[in-house]
Amino acid sequence: MTGQVLALFGTALTLVAAIGVVRFPDVLARMHALTKASTVGVVLALLGGAVTLDHPNDVTTLLLAAALQVLTLPMATNLMSRSTYMARGIAVHVDNIDELAEYRALEEVEPGPEDDRLPRHRTPATGVRPSGDDSGT
Amino acid sequence: MIAASYVLAALAAVGFGYRLVAGPSLSDRVIGVDGLLIVGVTAIVLRAMQTGEGAFLPVALVVTLVSFISTAVVARFIEGRGR
Repeated sequence: MTGQVLALFGTALTLVAAIGVVRFPDVLARMHALTKASTVGVVLALLGGAVTLDHPNDVTTLLLAAALQVLTLPMATNLMSRSTYMARGIAVHVDNIDELAEYRALEEVEPGPEDDRLPRHRTPATGVRPSGDDSGT
Repeated sequence: MIAASYVLAALAAVGFGYRLVAGPSLSDRVIGVDGLLIVGVTAIVLRAMQTGEGAFLPVALVVTLVSFISTAVVARFIEGRGR
């Protein structure tokens, strides 16, 4: 009974995510709706299954699947939103605060040897694409 | 109650399928595919709860992993291509 209630909540949240994906006007807003609601939705459904089923194999499989969803779904959506932002030809509307654009504008300037224009809390990771790579491959 | 969950999951699948077919950009279609895979995992779990038999649960695990890997690959693909 508890597991069924959990699964019902999970599918309701997935339906909320679907409504957001259908109705939101922007790509990034749709991604936001999908990953916020349906991460919790699918994890609730998996936990409902783990509560309901008895065999230890089933329970551990469901818990592992829930842990993998929590770990991978926000990461995948982060990758998708970043590359949607970077891609040319997809209209992306970002409001006032656009930290990625600021960071890329800093990257465009070739940093000198004793350059301290880069903020210390945002040191560039290794493997950041070099500037001037907007020509596409 | 399981039947109500099935109905909600089916409605969610309709919404994600609409976005998959109609989405103007490739990112929208990826969102639709991702949502459909999530609905698939949910349906597998609901089926296992209904029958009390967990033979299909490793499929849910594998679908989770494939969903992540496919999204990451398509993200790398979109980044240089656009549209």
